[in-house]
Amino acid sequence: MLNSTILEALRNAVDGDGKGTQSGLITATNQLQTYECDGLTNFRTLPGAVLLPRSTAQVQAIIRICAKHGIPFVARGAGTGLSGGALPAEGGIVISFARMTRILEIDIPNQRVVVEPGVINSHVTDAVAAYGYFYAPDPSSQTVCTLGGNVAENSGGAHCLKYGFTTTHVLGLEVVLPNGEVVTFGSGAPDTPGYDLTGVFVGSEGTLGVATKMTLRIVKRPEAVQVLLAAFDSTTAAAQTVSDIIAAGMLPAALEMMDRLSAQASEAAVHPNYPVSEALLLVELDGPEAEVNAQMLQVTALCQQNGAWEVRRAQTAEERALIWKGRKAAFAAMGRISPNYIVQDGVIPRTALPVVLEEITRMAAAVQLRVANVFHAGDGNLHPMVLYDQSIPGQEEIALDLSYRILYLCVDKGGSITGEHGVGKEKQQAMGYMFSEPDLETMQRVRHAFDPQNISNPDKLFPRTRFCAEKTGPYTPHPLESSGVAEFF
Amino acid sequence: MPETPVRQIISPQSTEQVAEVLRRANEEKLVVEITGAGTKRRWGNDVAAVVQLDTTRLTGVREHSWQDLTATVAAGTPWTTMQSVLAMHGQRVALDPLWPDQATVGGVIATNDSGCLRLRYGSLRDLIIGMTVVLADGTIAKSGGKVVKNVAGYDIHKLMTGAFGTLGVIAEVTFRLHPLPKSSATWTITSNDISVLDRIRHQLADSMLSIEALQLRTRDKVFSLDVKFVTLPEALEEHARRLHAYVSPLSVEAGEESIWLSREGMFDGTRATVKVTFLPTHIASLISEIQDYGGSCVAQQSGTMIASIQPDAERIAALRQKIESAGGSLTVLRWPNDAAPRPDKWGPGGNALPLMREIKRRFDSNSILNPGRFVGGI
Repeated sequence: MLNSTILEALRNAVDGDGKGTQSGLITATNQLQTYECDGLTNFRTLPGAVLLPRSTAQVQAIIRICAKHGIPFVARGAGTGLSGGALPAEGGIVISFARMTRILEIDIPNQRVVVEPGVINSHVTDAVAAYGYFYAPDPSSQTVCTLGGNVAENSGGAHCLKYGFTTTHVLGLEVVLPNGEVVTFGSGAPDTPGYDLTGVFVGSEGTLGVATKMTLRIVKRPEAVQVLLAAFDSTTAAAQTVSDIIAAGMLPAALEMMDRLSAQASEAAVHPNYPVSEALLLVELDGPEAEVNAQMLQVTALCQQNGAWEVRRAQTAEERALIWKGRKAAFAAMGRISPNYIVQDGVIPRTALPVVLEEITRMAAAVQLRVANVFHAGDGNLHPMVLYDQSIPGQEEIALDLSYRILYLCVDKGGSITGEHGVGKEKQQAMGYMFSEPDLETMQRVRHAFDPQNISNPDKLFPRTRFCAEKTGPYTPHPLESSGVAEFF
Repeated sequence: MPETPVRQIISPQSTEQVAEVLRRANEEKLVVEITGAGTKRRWGNDVAAVVQLDTTRLTGVREHSWQDLTATVAAGTPWTTMQSVLAMHGQRVALDPLWPDQATVGGVIATNDSGCLRLRYGSLRDLIIGMTVVLADGTIAKSGGKVVKNVAGYDIHKLMTGAFGTLGVIAEVTFRLHPLPKSSATWTITSNDISVLDRIRHQLADSMLSIEALQLRTRDKVFSLDVKFVTLPEALEEHARRLHAYVSPLSVEAGEESIWLSREGMFDGTRATVKVTFLPTHIASLISEIQDYGGSCVAQQSGTMIASIQPDAERIAALRQKIESAGGSLTVLRWPNDAAPRPDKWGPGGNALPLMREIKRRFDSNSILNPGRFVGGI
């Protein structure tokens, strides 16, 4: 697909007169292998070339070449995505944002920043913390993942119950469309006349073009933050407590639940000193000090009313960090109790939790597997982890099948197949279960308006015909995760 | 009322009926104007329609999952009617649109109206989690869902929000809800020096106080700053104490709840009404400009302003240019019938206009839905 003329044109696009210190074009196979997958490591495709542009103009030049020759491209940040969003097309181009990492503008009085897509999520908070601000969306990979990837996936995090997802915090974008045109969506000011193209672009998983500049909202830090941990004898009691907290009119910054199996794994991995129980509830409240103090008393009372036999309030920042550490390590910790596991990302109405957990237990027992559950209880995002042993012939397939059936169960209960990881390559087929043909056809109209040639991250997000020999597989850890740099969340 | 006569008014009672009407209209290429209660019908350009599709019989709160903080509502439901149903469980859609007693849910969404609450809870794009729409060819499509967190597929509902009915008819919408605040307090500071109020505004915006709304207004050469705190009763007193410290030596008065709908007063008499969007740091200079122009206005910290000014098309064009060069926008919402010449209501539309036209073409190839109403003649 990429002949020498095209490669030369691409080299010119990123190296200009060739006097740059390091070429922005990678074609050596051993180097290309770095880019053959993202955090969903069981899907791998070698790209034809990787480009490392330094500016919007260079991105535009690359995409113009792609458009002219019908070459598929995908943008890539840190490659931490969990659904194969940054997986290249066979012989296609990867546009890496490793060299577009500048924070271009910090505007504290207007509470916004302008960044390039390669900026790491937590670097925004680092840059504005001195002024008492932070960037709210906090995927657990936030110390390594990039904002370009966050925008593509509409990333969430533990605190999006109160603060909203990435989409809430993106005010405007500069985008290179799949035809090579550079356009501006939105601005620093709200309600730019016209369609909300920023809204539709965020979360489109790279299928509508490539963002090269983002205007983001930053948020004032709360005066006080408090964390509470409560232990229950049943997930139903913990779930009822969540409902009671909501019914009392509180909106906690985070509401997390872990079942016995996930708590055990976390305990074994990072020793957060969790009480041994059927369900652990973690509640974080933030806001003005007087408000947080009063609400914490109320939450404590609600936990006790629902039978919590231990309610622990983190008294110091260290204690708070320890409680969170156990929760954040829950995915990676599965390795302590199972040789292999598949993590899923379903969403259910919060009230369906007891029924869904019961059904998952039944489904797992029927195929003699175990499932551990971690739950963003506030917003209904369930992360079931199907535990299995790859060395037992056939068990991997059974586990995979179970993980998809759990997603379908979420849809049946009025939920969704993905709360924050995205559809990507992994859940293409499940889209057909969640949406009807007319729904998908309507989304395709948007897709075709942006990308009539179908070259911007093609064959993602929408269902496709699966080939017989195609390999789908279980989760294998990303190198960043194995080395402890990034965590699943 | 529109200047072109509407020949037929159709009031469907179900999403399927909407689909049937549109399918037929599309086959015969009949232009359709979509209306709710008509409170904002003059926003955007006039539409020369053959069919008026009236949505006011598509009513009712279909589902209120109060424990999940979500509700699904039919588009023709009046805003206040919806809110009173949700209030039975102490909840609401945290948005305060204009004329809520009449305005329908669908109309509020199609025009992307918002008010003072936007500062704390965001605009409709942050509050809508799912939608059922009917496209021009009768296709019934759903996007999003009934759960707060969901990243499956494109957010078609965001595309529909603020599209002025040019891409489809909104039939049903699912909102994320917020609890009604337990206690709140509104305070007003008045001065004839805008810079003093702007300094307090900035201090409040940069504070850790629990602020629900913050607005600056001017009328008859007097400026007012309004702030609303929402927190628990035990924290309200502390908030008031801190406010007094910021404001001193000026005095603070307890404000009326009605001031949060004072932007409704900008739609009156023989004057033009415009919506201006801006960066918060430009708020004071903009207000001064409106006042120099003999106008009055209500501006939100979130960056939107409704202003009442003389209907002078040339002067408005100049004002728009100035505002746009500072990163904002100006759209004309109301123009007196007898005032000539008439202004461009929308302004230039930016470099994404060709893409917007292409989206319109893909959604409504015969251009039957509110044609010409939107920016760039879409």
